[in-house]
Amino acid sequence: MAALSLQKHINKQLYDKWDLAYLYTDKNLKVVEVSDGLTLYGYPEIPLGCEVEDYVDFMVGFDASTRVDLPLVESPSGITVAVNLIPSKRGLAIVFSNASHLAEQRQLLQQKANENELLLRQQRILTHRLEQASKELEGKNEALREAARLQNSFLSGVSHEFRTPLSSIIGYTNLLERETHNPDKNPEAYANCRSYLRAVKRSSKHILSLVENLLDHGKLDADQIVIRPKPCDLHEVFDDIRLLLSPLAGTKNVEFTLQTNFEPGCMVIADDSRLRQCLLNIVGNAVKFTDKGSVTLKAELNRELLSIEVIDTGEGISKDNLAKIRIPFFQVADTGKAGTGLGLTITEGLIELMGGELVIRSELHQGTQVSFELPMPLLEAEALAMPEPSIDIDQLKVLLAEDDSDIADLLVMLLDEQNIEVTHVSNGALALEASEHEQFDLILMDLHMPVMDGYQAMEAMQKGGNTVPVAVMSASNLSEDRLQAQQYGCAAYLTKPVEIEEILLLANQLTSEA
Amino acid sequence: MDKKKVCMVGDFSVGKTSLTQKFVNNVFSEQYLTTIGVKIDTAIVDETKLIVWDVAGRDSLSPINLSYLVGASGIALVADGTRPETVDDLHSIWDTVEKRIGKVPTVVALNKRDLPEWSVTPEQIQSLKERGWIVFETSAKEGVEVEGLFTQLCRLIQ
Repeated sequence: MAALSLQKHINKQLYDKWDLAYLYTDKNLKVVEVSDGLTLYGYPEIPLGCEVEDYVDFMVGFDASTRVDLPLVESPSGITVAVNLIPSKRGLAIVFSNASHLAEQRQLLQQKANENELLLRQQRILTHRLEQASKELEGKNEALREAARLQNSFLSGVSHEFRTPLSSIIGYTNLLERETHNPDKNPEAYANCRSYLRAVKRSSKHILSLVENLLDHGKLDADQIVIRPKPCDLHEVFDDIRLLLSPLAGTKNVEFTLQTNFEPGCMVIADDSRLRQCLLNIVGNAVKFTDKGSVTLKAELNRELLSIEVIDTGEGISKDNLAKIRIPFFQVADTGKAGTGLGLTITEGLIELMGGELVIRSELHQGTQVSFELPMPLLEAEALAMPEPSIDIDQLKVLLAEDDSDIADLLVMLLDEQNIEVTHVSNGALALEASEHEQFDLILMDLHMPVMDGYQAMEAMQKGGNTVPVAVMSASNLSEDRLQAQQYGCAAYLTKPVEIEEILLLANQLTSEA
Repeated sequence: MDKKKVCMVGDFSVGKTSLTQKFVNNVFSEQYLTTIGVKIDTAIVDETKLIVWDVAGRDSLSPINLSYLVGASGIALVADGTRPETVDDLHSIWDTVEKRIGKVPTVVALNKRDLPEWSVTPEQIQSLKERGWIVFETSAKEGVEVEGLFTQLCRLIQ
């Protein structure tokens, strides 16, 4: 007995020294002995004979034969303990020892290691992102260089485009000058002059279309193009394209076919001039790039939706070029065909503004199909019954304010031919004065003039109670200029170069309204 | 009352402790404090006392101590949805677990669903589901799907 008591004493000394605590259970995991130190780890007083898992949660799932070491377990007191489950013949010994020192050391090490690993991961991600950003920047730089290259190539292309018709104009006007110096005016000389003039007119119109393309592109970029739908004959638009492009197709022996499911007189609400511009570009390109075979323009109007398809049997477009042709100023290098590289960009922008989407399908040597759909409301029958205004402009009195003497002389001469009486003044102040002393039927007003510009003159006329319609003639086609002119009471806005037909039509409309 | 042991297992810093604390005590802390060894909590779910072993995560210094998993009735595999590699790791972690304790019911928590850096791919989720696991996209911070995760696990092991 004394030996057993001594042994227990020694055990207690050791248990106390190492903060050891223990539990003994029988084979059914019922508690048979509990050491004093267990309460130090936050476990409650455990009555003998009860099931161990009712007091020690972590024992759930274990049986009496489980031998396992649980090195770091947070005890209910918060002190980390090492737990060893030791099975024996009589049951299970569960031994607890204080492992808080080890846990603290591990905590410090592990926390740092894990935080470092998270930081390293973050660093790797940031480095990857930096590399990505750097690649993107490189890509953007490349795109900028490409844009600059295209811009340069565009500038040289445009100068070449301008130089060609200008050389033609200068050449033919020289010839005209020489012919008109010849005192012996025979029919052949007149015929020559007419031919030279036609060449001058053709070249001038070409320059004008170049300028208009450039302006349209600028305006599309600045969101300044406004679609102006109005009643128009849809068939007429397509017939115009046929009339304009059939001769060119004919000279190349390319068959041009127009297929529509609507008849002449099919009245719709659309911006016919913009639609014409788009079709002219797409079909014009098809004819331009087709050297044999055919170009077909199909148009179908169903349920107020216009579907257009242009199919050609031309060279087609390579995959690389197909991806680039919508880029402003881009031109396929090896075609040798003239152009600004803006037509398709403008067309695509206009189609989008009109509510459609341009689709291009093409393969090299397989031809090209271009298609788009536009909403196209039909014109109501009552609107169709509106009577056409009658034209009666004889004896009209017009005041022309224009500082450019060449344009003024030309207009005076053309209006005079129509029996229109014209008073010409060269600035806004003189126009104001003339309008106060004389009665006119129409005032044609340039905007940029010396002494007093067109805006100021119109403002003064408005204040003075002027009732004569004023039509502005300006080289600017910007919406803000139109808007400002309207604010000063302008009744119509014509963009230069103004054709005499436009003035006559306007004169008729304005004077009949008055 | 029936008592069941379940273990939270996964890589370090995926949110095992956060999910456990949100479920058991409805608390959440932004501060990261790595778990050493194991923390044991309890919760009552559907008349079952769940003994939740929140086991230290696997990291570069130490693997998961499989002794902690002995006697587990179910496993919640946890990954961090903003670290896709921790989702892939679940497959190898499970293989190790299965070798030690055999097949037990398992659910998956893809945690940190609230963070904008979430980058789990549909393919990753599909590969987890193909193993027969129910996948939860959880947010311990906002308490999203946390209860669903534990309730589902409890139903599987009951």
